[in-house]
Amino acid sequence: MSGLRHTKDAPGAKPTLIAETGRLLLILFAVTSVLVPLLWIGFAAFRTPMDLTNPGSFTINPTLENMREVAKGDIPGASYRSFLVGGITTIIGLVVGSMAGYSISRFKTGGVALRFAILFPTIIPPTVLAFPLLALALQINISDSLFAVIAAHLTIVVPMITWFMTGFFAGVPREIEEQAAIDGLGPFRTFFQVVIPNVLPGLGASALLAFMLSWNELFYALVLAPGDSQTLPVAISAFNTFQGVKLGPMSAALLLTVTPVIFLSFFIQKRLVQGLGASGVKG
Amino acid sequence: MSQVSSQTLADASERKGLFSRLVDAFPFRWWMALPLILLLGIFVLYPLGFSFYLSLTEYKLTNRSLDFIGFEQYRRVLTDGDFTESLKITLTFVVAAVLIELVLGLVLALALQKQKFARNITRALLFTPMFLAPVAVGLVFRFLLNQQLGLLPNALAVFGWQVDFFSPNMALWSMVLIDVWQWTPFMVLLMLSGLESMPKSPFEAARVDGASFFLTFRTLTLPMLAPVLIVALVIRVLESSKLFEYVFVITNGGPGGTTESLQFIMYQTGIRFFRLAEASAMAFVFLLVLAVPIIWMLRQAKET
Repeated sequence: MSGLRHTKDAPGAKPTLIAETGRLLLILFAVTSVLVPLLWIGFAAFRTPMDLTNPGSFTINPTLENMREVAKGDIPGASYRSFLVGGITTIIGLVVGSMAGYSISRFKTGGVALRFAILFPTIIPPTVLAFPLLALALQINISDSLFAVIAAHLTIVVPMITWFMTGFFAGVPREIEEQAAIDGLGPFRTFFQVVIPNVLPGLGASALLAFMLSWNELFYALVLAPGDSQTLPVAISAFNTFQGVKLGPMSAALLLTVTPVIFLSFFIQKRLVQGLGASGVKG
Repeated sequence: MSQVSSQTLADASERKGLFSRLVDAFPFRWWMALPLILLLGIFVLYPLGFSFYLSLTEYKLTNRSLDFIGFEQYRRVLTDGDFTESLKITLTFVVAAVLIELVLGLVLALALQKQKFARNITRALLFTPMFLAPVAVGLVFRFLLNQQLGLLPNALAVFGWQVDFFSPNMALWSMVLIDVWQWTPFMVLLMLSGLESMPKSPFEAARVDGASFFLTFRTLTLPMLAPVLIVALVIRVLESSKLFEYVFVITNGGPGGTTESLQFIMYQTGIRFFRLAEASAMAFVFLLVLAVPIIWMLRQAKET
């Protein structure tokens, strides 16, 4: 109701009651469409196999059996590996990406060519790089290890961080560097001690987004580490042969996969809009 | 005085170690970009070149021969009906999914712009799907749309509507549905940030003049939003053309090959059938097709 009261302040023509009702119904429909699949999985994760195979019913005899079965399987190990890959990729990405982002933002280093080179690996289909990386990994005996996956993930994470940080550095006033130069600081120390503290919120958002990119990524991980070193997305993709009885554990595993990401996403949404805006998406 | 200071400077430069002389050899800005350039060179440029060479050999995972055979693999890919069929399937998917996402995203962004009640929580909820792992989203919908056990077919059956979402006629459209569910939020995010960065005064003038919603939309909102629309469109075209996860965990290309996306048949050829050279050739043909939207985007970027 309070939505109606405030609409007069919004730019554009004055809405009619019908338009306003339609607008609210549309938002309600969208929210429902997003929530129902997620809640249904969260619900299923705690239902017994008997209840799950009876789709018409909403009965629930809450059980932790699904969680227990997931805990016994590949999922915990795979989560740990995903965490490791995501963590290492993000840390390398932050160092490399913020340094390059600063250079590009302040000095237009590399010009259009470097900007294109940065976008290129994120644009291309992953098959272009995954197959040669696999052949190279086989050559030096690091296939089915996390090294190959980390290398592949760096090709998407580093460009993303560089792109975002270029935008965030543009928002830092040049005066602080001039002041640092007067104080006798060299350019490297100025960057690490003076400039970086000014972009910490942007750096944090980039880190979370980078981690999520790696955490969610399937194709490179599937091609480069399909066996003992499988990451979480590869491990949960094994549920693609599910029988009725596997629905519970599958739901539990999905819940474990998406919950941390949903939690993290709430922290970065505002920064994300800012980052997209700052790096020129807005045109 | 000046003699003394120049003397100390000379001393200082003589005392400089190898390290600082190395630092001085390059400008600061190139040092800062060096890690990125090295990384791109080792993990992108080198594999890219190697990939192209692979596509000119008969390399298989079972027989790693690097003997040069020319463009034989390309001839095989282009004359083999499977690849062109898969290209058609992927194009259909991309056009349908991106158009729906564009329209739905725009409508939702306009609706959300005026939303004042529970503003932040509504937005946070609606943005959620794009942060989830596509493979997880695929499995969620495999469960949700399953004919026997799924919520949606059973709910539709109550109204006497029998739908098999993974039948040969429907499977690809179900992939579109899932893509729309997951990625319309991305469109909304971009468009909302575009809408909210627009100047307010033209809209106030339009309201004072009594312009209708559609007139305002057509003459003010849409032209001002065009740059954002183009970026959003291109990003989604490029991303959705990589359709793989939903297919991999739901239909495995079936039924009857109706959901065999390009990315999927490349995985099939290269990994499951071990023919890495042929798969690399496919990847390069695909890259050539993708060059069309990429070049278009670069042109647009130059104009705006």
